[in-house]
Amino acid sequence: MDIAIKVENVSKTFRIPHEKVSSLRGAAVNLFRSGGYEEFKALDDVSFEIKKGEFFGIIGRNGSGKSTLLKILAGIYQPDNGNVQIDGLISPFLELGIGFNPELSGRDNVYLNATVLGMTKKQINEKFDSIVAFSELERFIDQKLNRYSSGMSVRLAFSVAVHANREILLMDEVLAVGDMNFQKKCYEYFNEIKGKKTIIFVSHDMESMKKFCDRALLLQNGKIVKIAETKMIVDKYIQENMAIDKK
Amino acid sequence: MLAKTDFKLRYHGSVLGYLWALLKPLLTFAILNFVFSSVFNPRGTGMDTYSLQLLVSLMMFYFFAEGTSAGMSSLLLKSQLVTKIYVPRWTIILSSTINATLIFLMNLVVIVFFFAIKGFMPHLPAILMFFVFSIFIYIIILSFSLITAPLYVKFRDLSMIWEVLLMIIMYASPIIYPLVTIPAKYHQIILLNPLAFIIHFTKESLINNHFATPIQYLIFSGIVLAGLALGIFSYRKFIPKIAEEI
Repeated sequence: MDIAIKVENVSKTFRIPHEKVSSLRGAAVNLFRSGGYEEFKALDDVSFEIKKGEFFGIIGRNGSGKSTLLKILAGIYQPDNGNVQIDGLISPFLELGIGFNPELSGRDNVYLNATVLGMTKKQINEKFDSIVAFSELERFIDQKLNRYSSGMSVRLAFSVAVHANREILLMDEVLAVGDMNFQKKCYEYFNEIKGKKTIIFVSHDMESMKKFCDRALLLQNGKIVKIAETKMIVDKYIQENMAIDKK
Repeated sequence: MLAKTDFKLRYHGSVLGYLWALLKPLLTFAILNFVFSSVFNPRGTGMDTYSLQLLVSLMMFYFFAEGTSAGMSSLLLKSQLVTKIYVPRWTIILSSTINATLIFLMNLVVIVFFFAIKGFMPHLPAILMFFVFSIFIYIIILSFSLITAPLYVKFRDLSMIWEVLLMIIMYASPIIYPLVTIPAKYHQIILLNPLAFIIHFTKESLINNHFATPIQYLIFSGIVLAGLALGIFSYRKFIPKIAEEI
């Protein structure tokens, strides 16, 4: 089987300055003071491979480096060392509804969002009906987005995202909003594309993790604890959390 | 590439916004025109074409001012697009300058209208020159935005500084006064400023059908292209880390 994503020895360190300088005036003042900063290692020598068509989970506590890892995969951050090889079109979004504008109608937002996701106008025209049908928002599509509930706009965003035809999808806690029916719909969609697309799935919902992911990765303080079959990883994660709780 | 056309969708929401953008330079023109052709009427401006010259140069200056201000703040205003998704960052910068370009194109209609009222017909080479100069202004806007958009993320007071600088640039360019009112020995220095060069020779060519010498054009395009190279260089240097700094 082909490799979709290959991550080799990736590290990422953030500098957290004690005092954030955000103006020229501040910078001029700070010239004469040494601005101290702390280093925070968000990712430390991370390597793994994901095969094509794999449903890959990433598990870890808050601040363990999951989002940083996804941002590096999406190309938003540049790693300090190591390199990332990606074979296939990667979906560039981490959160749903990025680029949505509340002042525009649902229809315009679909076009806007789909363009951000790299679709051409022609492709959007072709898929528009099915995007709207998937989101179940036919009645509201010409209303302004600021009249939508948060669940509704997430539904629309998810619908656009799944129609964008990317080979690799990054999903960071996408199912947190949305009612049960819509979640069910998403699960059906996951089942449908499983094996066809490569999916990297980040969630704190261990049940859906176990249900969908073939393999998973456990991150702790920026380091990989283990990569293995999902069930093992989930169990290990729960165990460790309980151990920490006891302390 | 496509992102740029659809970002402007956002601005279509407010029709009034466009109207204001059109009215601002026009009102400035009305005021300046009144003050300088009726109240002060200094030497060299008494001529018939002063208002046309003022109009053309003001529109060009506003193109520059709006374009650079929008370009500078583009990355910060669209910070969501920078930190949450990967789109090539230059498309964000590019799309922000398109709005100013559209307004400039609409202002062209106003310019044509005023020329028609005055019954003044510029020569064809001068009109062509005008469009070449407009493209050069766009290149300057783009170079400036490539440099300042990443910097603005770090230094948020840059916009205030730029507002003041814009005012200085406005008065340092022969917009409200013709270049001849300045002692001749300073002309070369003033014309080193690409914007002053553009505005001066647009007026000269449109009204008097008088063009710059080839060497002057050469120096001028050299400066502009050097600026563009600097813009691209600086963009490449600062952009990889931009997501962390916003």
